Amino acid sequence: MEFIKQEDREYIENKYHDTKKPFDPYHRRAYHGYEYDHSTGLSDGEIQAELLILSQDYATAPHPVAKAREIEYVLRHTRIDVNEHDYFIGLDTWNRVIKPTTLDKWKNEIFSQALPEIDQTMKSLNASGAVAIWPDFDHVVPDWESLMTLGFPGIRQRAKEYRSMHEAKRPLSAQEKAFFDGIEIEYTAILEFVDRLYRYAKTKSHEKAKRQTECLLHLRDGAPTDSYEAMQLIFLYFMISESVDCYQVRSLGNGLDSTLYPFYQRDLQSGRYTRDEIKELLAYFLLQWSAIGNYWGQPFYLGGTAADGSCLVNDLSHDILDVYRELGLYNPKIQIKYNDNTPLNFLNKVLNMIRCGQSSFVFCCEPGMWQAVMSYGADAEEARTMDIRGCYETGVRANEVSTATGYVNPLKAVVLALHDGIDPRTGMPVGVRTGAPSSFVRFEDFYSAFLKQYGHLIEETIRCANAYDPYMGEINPSSLYSATIKASLERAYDGYGGGVKFNNSALQSCGLGTAVDALMAVYELVYEKQELSLEELVKILDKNWEGHETLRRRALRLSHKYGVNDPLADRYAVAISHFFCDKVNGRKNGRGGVYKAFLHSAMQFVWQGEKTEATPDGRKAGDEISKNASPTSGMDKNGVTALIQSAVKLTPTSYPESFCLDIMLHPSSVAGEEGLSVMKALLDVYTNNGGMSIQMNVFSPEMLKDAQAHPEQYRNLQVRVCGWNVLWNNLSRAEQDAYIVRAENIQ
Amino acid sequence: MTGRIFEIKRFAVHDGDGIRTTVFFKGCPLRCVWCHNPEGLSAKPQIAFYEHKCIGCGECQKEGFSPEHCLGDARVLYGREITVEELLPLLLEDREFYETSGGGVTLSGGECLLQADFCAELLKRLKEQGIHTAVDTCGFVSKEALDKVIPYTDSFLYDLKAYDEDVHIRCTGVSNKQILENLSYLDARDQRIEIRIPYVPEWNAAQIEPMASFLAKLSSVTAIRILPYHNLAGSKYRALGLSHTLPSKLPTPEELEQARQLLQALTGRPVFH
Repeated sequence: MEFIKQEDREYIENKYHDTKKPFDPYHRRAYHGYEYDHSTGLSDGEIQAELLILSQDYATAPHPVAKAREIEYVLRHTRIDVNEHDYFIGLDTWNRVIKPTTLDKWKNEIFSQALPEIDQTMKSLNASGAVAIWPDFDHVVPDWESLMTLGFPGIRQRAKEYRSMHEAKRPLSAQEKAFFDGIEIEYTAILEFVDRLYRYAKTKSHEKAKRQTECLLHLRDGAPTDSYEAMQLIFLYFMISESVDCYQVRSLGNGLDSTLYPFYQRDLQSGRYTRDEIKELLAYFLLQWSAIGNYWGQPFYLGGTAADGSCLVNDLSHDILDVYRELGLYNPKIQIKYNDNTPLNFLNKVLNMIRCGQSSFVFCCEPGMWQAVMSYGADAEEARTMDIRGCYETGVRANEVSTATGYVNPLKAVVLALHDGIDPRTGMPVGVRTGAPSSFVRFEDFYSAFLKQYGHLIEETIRCANAYDPYMGEINPSSLYSATIKASLERAYDGYGGGVKFNNSALQSCGLGTAVDALMAVYELVYEKQELSLEELVKILDKNWEGHETLRRRALRLSHKYGVNDPLADRYAVAISHFFCDKVNGRKNGRGGVYKAFLHSAMQFVWQGEKTEATPDGRKAGDEISKNASPTSGMDKNGVTALIQSAVKLTPTSYPESFCLDIMLHPSSVAGEEGLSVMKALLDVYTNNGGMSIQMNVFSPEMLKDAQAHPEQYRNLQVRVCGWNVLWNNLSRAEQDAYIVRAENIQ
Repeated sequence: MTGRIFEIKRFAVHDGDGIRTTVFFKGCPLRCVWCHNPEGLSAKPQIAFYEHKCIGCGECQKEGFSPEHCLGDARVLYGREITVEELLPLLLEDREFYETSGGGVTLSGGECLLQADFCAELLKRLKEQGIHTAVDTCGFVSKEALDKVIPYTDSFLYDLKAYDEDVHIRCTGVSNKQILENLSYLDARDQRIEIRIPYVPEWNAAQIEPMASFLAKLSSVTAIRILPYHNLAGSKYRALGLSHTLPSKLPTPEELEQARQLLQALTGRPVFH
C-alpha cells in the first residue's frame, strides 16, 4: 500500500529545508523550508532581537528562570503551521535562537571567570587534536512513559505537587525555587503554545484539520489518548527540546514500539484507527526526521526483553519496519535490542533490509549491554529496561544523564611519545616530557613513553571535565527534561546538574585500532627488524613520508595489525584498552556520578585524524583514524571472522557507555536463505562473546566504484559512517576511497 | 608430510553448510574449459603477475625477492608446502563460527584428493577436534583415495559436469567413467553427498536431464546445487600467463530456474542455485 501521498511527502521533505537548494547536513539549523503563514508570528531575526532585550531584563534572574522566559518568548512568537499535507505541526524557529543569550553566554562567563586555566587547557587540547572536549548536552532521553501517561499538563501538575511537598517540609532554597520556577514557566509556555496551535488549526478547513484540531486540544488538556496523539506528543517534545531548549533528544520513546503499543492496541480494539491508518500516521511521523536530515541521524530503538523474559517485539514493531522499508528511509536510524528471545521472523526482516542496502540499523546485544550498565551500579531490572541513547550508548531509563565528555586520541599519544610531549601541530606542550626518540633503547621504553602520554591526556581530560561538570546545570538548565524525571523532582535538582540517580560522564578513546597499528609498526620496523632508527623514522614522519613511499607501503603491509586476530597486535590492543578503561571506569566525575569508558568515535575519526600527523603505521598526515572498535580502514585483511575475534578480545563490556563494531559483508556472502543464517551466526558469535553493538554494511567494491564513477545513478545509496548513515554522494572522495579499500578486503 | 595448497579462505559460505574455512589444494587432473580456478590446475607452485596492480615499487628487481615483498600485491605466489601441524591452528581459529552456523572445514582445489594421504591425516585431526568436514572433489580419483578420507569426511561436495562421456571428454579432457563409478561407490557407502553442477550454457545445458536421471537412482544425495558459470577468471589466466578457453555465454536466470526445476522434478531432491 502507499502509506503517504506523494505530494504530501514532497511537502514534508521541504518542511525543514528547501530540497532544491544546497543543503549541508552539518549545518542543519541554518535552514528553513517552505514559508509559514507570517501572520502567525515573527521571523527568527525579529525574535532574536527581542531575546537580546529580554536577556537584559533577566540578567540577574536564576538561569532556569531566565532560560525559561526566553523559551516562553520563542514559543509565543514563533511562526506555526498546521498543514493540509502533514499530520504533524510546524514550528518555524528551530535555530536554537536562545543559545547566544543563554547557553553560549553562560558557558563563556563560567569558563572565563571561574575556570580560566581549564579554558586554556581545553583550547590547546582541542587545537592539537589530542582530545576533543566540550560540555555536552546532546545525549538525553526524557522519561517518555511519564510524558505518555501525564501529557504536558500532567507533567506541569506533578512538578507543582512535588514543589508543595518539598515546601511542606522546609523552605526551598533559591536554587530549588529556580528549579521549579523554570519548569513551571516552560511547561506553561508549552501549553500556551499547544493552545495556539489548536486555535490556528481550528481556522483551517482542510482534510486533515479536524483530526489535528482534536489532537491538539487533547494534548493541551491532558495525556495523549490515541496513537496519533502519542506520536504528535513525541514530535512536539522533540521539536521544542531540540530546536528551542538546546537539548538533543536521543531516543523517540523508550522503545518506539513499546511506547506506542498501548495506544496502538487500544485504537485497533476500539476501531479508532485501523492498522493501515496507523501505518499512514507512522509514515508522516518517520518522514519528519528524514526531512530534518541531521547528519547524526535521529535514533529510536525497537524490541527488548519483557519482565517475563519474552521479547517485546510486537505487531507494531513489524509495522514500523514495514513503513520504514516502504519509504526507503535511512534517517531516523533504528537500534534493535537483540537477544536469544528475538523472534526469527523479525530478525530476518531486519537482516533482509540491511542486505538490501538499508544499513541504518544497529544491533544492540542485550547480554553485553545489560552487563555493561550493571557494572556501574544498575540493578537487573534497570538493565532490562535500559534505554539505548544516541548512536548506541547505554542509559538507565529515566534515571541517567551521561554526557559525552571527551574524546581522547591515543594515536596523538603515539605522536607525542615521538616528540617528547610537544605537539608538532601547535608547538604546544600538550603531552609530558618522556625523552627524545634516541633515548628509547628498547621497544618497552617507547611503549612506556606512549602510555605516559596517553595517561596524561586521559588525566587532563578528566581534570578539565571535573572542573566544569558542577556547572552543567547552570550553563544549560534542563527544566524541560528534568520535569519528566521523577528522581529529579524528588531531589528538587536539575537533571543535568546531578539530579538523577546516575549522573555519569563518558570518556571516549577514538582511533584505538590505528594506535595499535602505529605501535606495532615501531616495534617491527625499528626494534624487531631494525630497518631504521626511531630518530630516522620520526624525521620521515615529520616530512609526511615524502620520498619514502616504499617504506610507507611496507608499513601498511606489516603483519601485526589490529583486526586480523594477530596475537601480538591484539595483546597490545587489549593492554591499551584496559589501560584506558581502568583509568576511566568508576572514576568520580563532578556531578556525583562516575565516568564510563566508551569506544565510539562519532565524527572524531575524521576530525581528530585531520589534526594528527603522519604515523608509523603508514598513515599519512590528516588521514582518518580507525573508528569505534573497528580496525584502520582496509586493515581487516583476514575477514570478518578474524575481525570479530580481535574485537571481542577487548572485552566489550569494559566500555559501559558503548562499544561498537562495524563489519562489512559482500552481497554474495549474504544472499539467499543461507545468507540470513550467516548474518545471524555472526551476530550470535558477537553476542555470545559479550559484544555490545554491531552494525553491518553489505556492499561490493565493484558497486561502490561504480557509484563513485556514476553518482547520478546512486542518489539513494547510503553507508554507515559511524553511528549514523550518510548518502554515499555526500562523502568526500577520500572518505569514499577509504570505504572502497575496506570493501576490497571482503569476498 | 606436507600438502601443497594455494589458498586458505576463511568465512567461506558457499562450500558446504554454514560458515567454513576452505583449503584449496594445488593440482587438478581435469582441464575444464570453464575453469575459474586456473591457479589450481598445475601441481607446481606458480607466481602470477597482476599487471594492473603493479605500482612500480621495484622490489621484484631486487635480489632475494619473493612475492610477499611485492608492495602492490601484483605478484602472487600460488602453491606452498604446509604441514598438518601448521594448518590445524589456522583452521581451528574460526571454530566458534562453525559451531554457531553449522559450518566447518572444506577441502577443495584443484583436486584435493590427489593428495589423499595428507587430506586423510588433516581430516582425521579435524574430526578429533569435533570439526565438521567436507571434501569437494571432481571425482576423478582412485577408489583408494576415497577410502582414505571416507572415515573422516562428514559430507562430500561432488562435482558433476556431464553424463555423456564424449561431452565430458570434450569439456574436461577426461572420461567420466571413473567419476560416475566413484559417485555410485560413495552412494553405496551411505556417504552424505551434495552434488554440484557447474551450469555452462555452451557445454552442458543438454546434460542436465541425463545427469538428473542418473542422480535419481542414487540414495545418498542430500541436495543438488547448480553453480552458474561466470567468466570472471580471465584476469587470473592472464596473470598466470595462460591462454584461456572461457566460454562467453553466461546463463540467464530463466535457464537456471528451468534447470533447477528439471533436476528437482527428476531427482526429488532439493536443488539450489
